[in-house]
Amino acid sequence: MHSDGSAPVLRRVSGSLETAGITRYAHSSRRCRVLVVDDDEFARARIAGVLRNADFDVDAAATAADALRIMHDGDCQILLTDWQMPDMDGLALCRNVRQAGSDRYVYVLMHTVRDSQQDLLAGLAAGADDYLVKGVPVEQFVARMDVARRIAGLRSSSNRNQGRSQGIFSDALTGANNQRYLVKHLSLELLRSRRYEHPFAIINCCVDRFEQINDLFGREAGDELLRELVARVEASTRKGSDWLARVANDEFMIVLPETKVHGAHCVAQKLRESFVRAPVVASSGLVHFTVSIGITAYEPTHNSNASPGLEDMLLAVGRGMAASKNRGGNRVTAAAATSGVDIAVGSLQENGDAIH
Amino acid sequence: MPSTSRRAKAAARAGLDDDLEGLRASFDARLRSERVHLVTLSAALARAEDHPAQIFADLRDRAHRIRGGAAILAIEPIAAAACSLEFAAILAVKSRAGHADTAVWAALVALVRLMGRDDEADEMAALSALREVAAG
Repeated sequence: MHSDGSAPVLRRVSGSLETAGITRYAHSSRRCRVLVVDDDEFARARIAGVLRNADFDVDAAATAADALRIMHDGDCQILLTDWQMPDMDGLALCRNVRQAGSDRYVYVLMHTVRDSQQDLLAGLAAGADDYLVKGVPVEQFVARMDVARRIAGLRSSSNRNQGRSQGIFSDALTGANNQRYLVKHLSLELLRSRRYEHPFAIINCCVDRFEQINDLFGREAGDELLRELVARVEASTRKGSDWLARVANDEFMIVLPETKVHGAHCVAQKLRESFVRAPVVASSGLVHFTVSIGITAYEPTHNSNASPGLEDMLLAVGRGMAASKNRGGNRVTAAAATSGVDIAVGSLQENGDAIH
Repeated sequence: MPSTSRRAKAAARAGLDDDLEGLRASFDARLRSERVHLVTLSAALARAEDHPAQIFADLRDRAHRIRGGAAILAIEPIAAAACSLEFAAILAVKSRAGHADTAVWAALVALVRLMGRDDEADEMAALSALREVAAG
């Protein structure tokens, strides 16, 4: 128990504060990496020495550009930066870090000789979490860094929890959503479409002869192909509304809200053509590939009360994809979801791109 | 007999103090070099005509560097003197002051005096002479 009666929930750490009769506690036993950015070699050396003595892992950079490179390549929880530096100053570095919007929050501490109220406000406004004037006693410096470590630790554990919950719905290989996500969110899309009488379409995309590709180029090349496919689909669909999910080894569903069957057909044809045009550059060679695509759509009409269920739509899009495969692959085929609800496949039917 | 952890802590503190002393010794060498630069700049300032903005800017930047290093290594008198020179130079740039700006010269002389040693009295004398030249 502490002298105030509270339980010690934090790990006790050693350091120079103990000489002043103060006990320091860090939030956990996790290591904390600090990037020290200062164009002055003496400042870098001194700060690094103090931090290492206080159980921090330390990287150092003489310029903001070097700092950004180090942050991009490595893992840094705290950025301790000088203000005045030759190429890019600390404020610009701070803004850069915030604008980059990385998944991991970086705690930024501005460390400068500029000690006016105006400077402090400018530093915080640029995105710094704390502001420290150079020359403060070592004890105060270490205490501020301990606060930074504690907050950076809380941020990382919050990021980890978020990552865990996202992991339930994402595919580890490609980073796309998985089947579980599809089942949960597709039913919501369907409900929304019914309620507001808005159309929405589904594309089922399967890589042709994927097993042969794996046999010929190796499993790693197959994995690279799938990752590339996901990247290309994401690049050619609308961000924030369209989404895709990997539902089998070589099979994906792409969901297009507010899209009729002709719109989905255009998207599918563009994707199919782009895959034919640009083979994947895998580590074991150039992999040419094609896809078989099925599409279906829900297009509510005023004179129809019937609407397809989720299963109807998935069966229909699967039928479309199978029809494309049966016709030799590298095709797009539209399929109606239910007998009661037709999709506008007129011109697609004429081209042989639709089945019922 | 002190415990192992207490001995380790004491060793860590001693190591940190050794590091600081080592850095201060290196910084002292840099101060001597900076002192020569400051005297050179003051010679240029004494000879300058009109508004020597570039010289004031050089003095400001050099003073800022000295101030930062001295503050980090807890050499307070140097940090304070460098801070005075930095602010005097900033004001001189802003107010388009002439080469005889008294605040800049006073801060310059104070800083160079602090940065020097007894065996470097020649530079101090030279600086005082330059100040008089500037003052006319």
